[in-house]
Amino acid sequence: MRARARVGVLFVSPALTLFCLFLVGPILGALILSFTNFNVYAIGNWLRASFVGISNYRELLFEDPLFWVSLRNTFYCVSITVPATIAFSLLAALLLNSKRLRGKAFFRLLYFLPVVTNTAAMAVVWRWLFNYRFGLVNGLLSLLGIKGPNWLGDPAWAIPAIAAMVIWRGIGFNMLIFLAGLQGIPNYLYEAAAIDGANTWAMFRYITLPLLRPTTLLVTVMTLIGHIQLFEEPFIMTGGGPLNATLSVAMYIYRLGFRFFRLGYASSLAYVLFLIIFVVTLIRMKIGRSTFDYAGS
Amino acid sequence: MKWREIAFVVLVVASLVGLNATARTPITIWAMGEEGLNLEQITPRFEEENPDIKVRVVQIPWDLAYDKIITAVAGGTAPDLCQVGTTWMAAFASMGALVPLDEFIARSQVVSPANFFPGSWSTAVVGGTVYGVPWYVDVRVLYYRTDLLQAIGVEHPPTTWEELYQVGLKLAEQGEYGLGLSPHWQEFLPFVWQAGGHVLDQTLTRPRVTDPEFIEALEFFVSLFQSGIAPIGEEIDLFEAFRTGFYPMFFSGPWMVKLISQRLPEIEGKWFVATMPKKVTRASFVGGSDWAIFASTPHREECWRFIEFMSRPDVQVDWYRILRALPAVTQAWQDPLLAEDPLMQVFATQLEDTVAPPATPAWEEIAQALTTRVEEAIRGVHTPTEAAQLLDQDIRKILARL
Repeated sequence: MRARARVGVLFVSPALTLFCLFLVGPILGALILSFTNFNVYAIGNWLRASFVGISNYRELLFEDPLFWVSLRNTFYCVSITVPATIAFSLLAALLLNSKRLRGKAFFRLLYFLPVVTNTAAMAVVWRWLFNYRFGLVNGLLSLLGIKGPNWLGDPAWAIPAIAAMVIWRGIGFNMLIFLAGLQGIPNYLYEAAAIDGANTWAMFRYITLPLLRPTTLLVTVMTLIGHIQLFEEPFIMTGGGPLNATLSVAMYIYRLGFRFFRLGYASSLAYVLFLIIFVVTLIRMKIGRSTFDYAGS
Repeated sequence: MKWREIAFVVLVVASLVGLNATARTPITIWAMGEEGLNLEQITPRFEEENPDIKVRVVQIPWDLAYDKIITAVAGGTAPDLCQVGTTWMAAFASMGALVPLDEFIARSQVVSPANFFPGSWSTAVVGGTVYGVPWYVDVRVLYYRTDLLQAIGVEHPPTTWEELYQVGLKLAEQGEYGLGLSPHWQEFLPFVWQAGGHVLDQTLTRPRVTDPEFIEALEFFVSLFQSGIAPIGEEIDLFEAFRTGFYPMFFSGPWMVKLISQRLPEIEGKWFVATMPKKVTRASFVGGSDWAIFASTPHREECWRFIEFMSRPDVQVDWYRILRALPAVTQAWQDPLLAEDPLMQVFATQLEDTVAPPATPAWEEIAQALTTRVEEAIRGVHTPTEAAQLLDQDIRKILARL
């Protein structure tokens, strides 16, 4: 038994070493950094930084209005994108799961392409789509007689514009997970319900949704974790946006750390973000605790 | 048997010694963008004149360069010599990444502060020490459509703030906008300098943004947007806008000369450049790139010789021929190629009145605060005076941390 365990560890050790070196190491390093005042002078000579206890955290929470602005922006965006992404991806999965659909592979490809395409490239294109005068979005709206707003130049519309792109990009991945979940629901349940006279909506509400709970929990948690770290879209489309309206927490970390070189302060913000995501995830999982199985497996 | 082995060893040693004797000292140079792509048109000449040095050029795109250099400095993999954007000099010097060059300059025949434009030279001085030597300069001027101005009865480009405003207003009435301006600090600061104001004081420790000159500049800048002369929150491709007259005027640097000629042949002969409008002075923003030697290099002498080579007036003119970048060495401008080009003469005139942003390592942070407060004033979130006071507080906080 011991010998087998040793062999197992040996096989895992290369991956484990890389994991520790490139993941655990920097994570711990950032934690240490967050208690220092590491700034531009310290980059060439680490000894120029000194420990400052929790003063970074104190400054962040009590003396930095931009922190709260970035937090508000991020949660505003997340409150739109997370429910919408989950709803649309569930819809897409239901449609793709339908027996009557032809060309499933084509639609799967269509939905999944945004996931695998380079975000930066897509953000550049979307920036032009949202252009106030010449963009396609406003062009299509004008066909309906609506004068489109200055999406990326108006602080009130910038986050919704970015949210649209984030949702569009997130549908494919969650759709695949929902598809897997849907296919795990035994068919005889639907047949039994049909015999009892249930219509489509009732079947969805009483069979599909409850049995999808574990999948929904997974998708929600993953989407939450991903979307709270919103970075690429605002970075490329608005650079923090008109009057900091699209400055997300992750973008603020990047700006503090890599443009202002305040790596100590940026690390403390990164840990605050981690704690926020941790707490949010914990809450979500507590809510999703009540699961019961109809099929009793 | 033994003498064959001895002969072999002697041969190997001899060849190694021989190789070493002809080995050149290698220096690695990092250069950005177009400069990086074209530098190797000049380096062979340097290698001919200096057979003991071998030059290797590594090209880096501009948008990655800042991060790449920081990473290299922190990780100990910095190159020997690097092209450094002028606004980055203070940050890199403060990190201790660059070699102070005062000693080299003192004993040099080629490089001396008097040979360069003063505004350009100032970009290489951080805290009283010289850390770089200017390579080429970039200065901003006013690009304008001569035909569109004539159409509204204006014969010469605006030369004062008042004229800029009036011409801009008339152009905006006839077309869409009068001036393609953005709240970016590089477009705003020249107005501050033209009014005689500054962002920081001489010691670079106190903000001067609540001085009347600064507020006057901010009020004028804001009025350009709020009167409809310049766009608020719009993003248009500059070339298309200039071609169609959407932006009949805009401020930019010398690189636009070549680009406009290449991309917009339709407006050939219908555009020209002018010096900045005057308030107290007609100061413009000066940028460009400086050469800097990284402290980690073992080949400082060789790097210095390359800098001297690039600072010779004839090499500066050659570089202008290759890339149309404005020479930083004043003597190069006497070459007929530059002296007899009316477009270039506008740049030459403007180069006599330039200011560079303050050489403080906190510049990125200050610039960000500046852009934000200016944007707030433009959009009416604060009045210019309020915005200036908030900016004053922002800058004090930033400087206190240094």
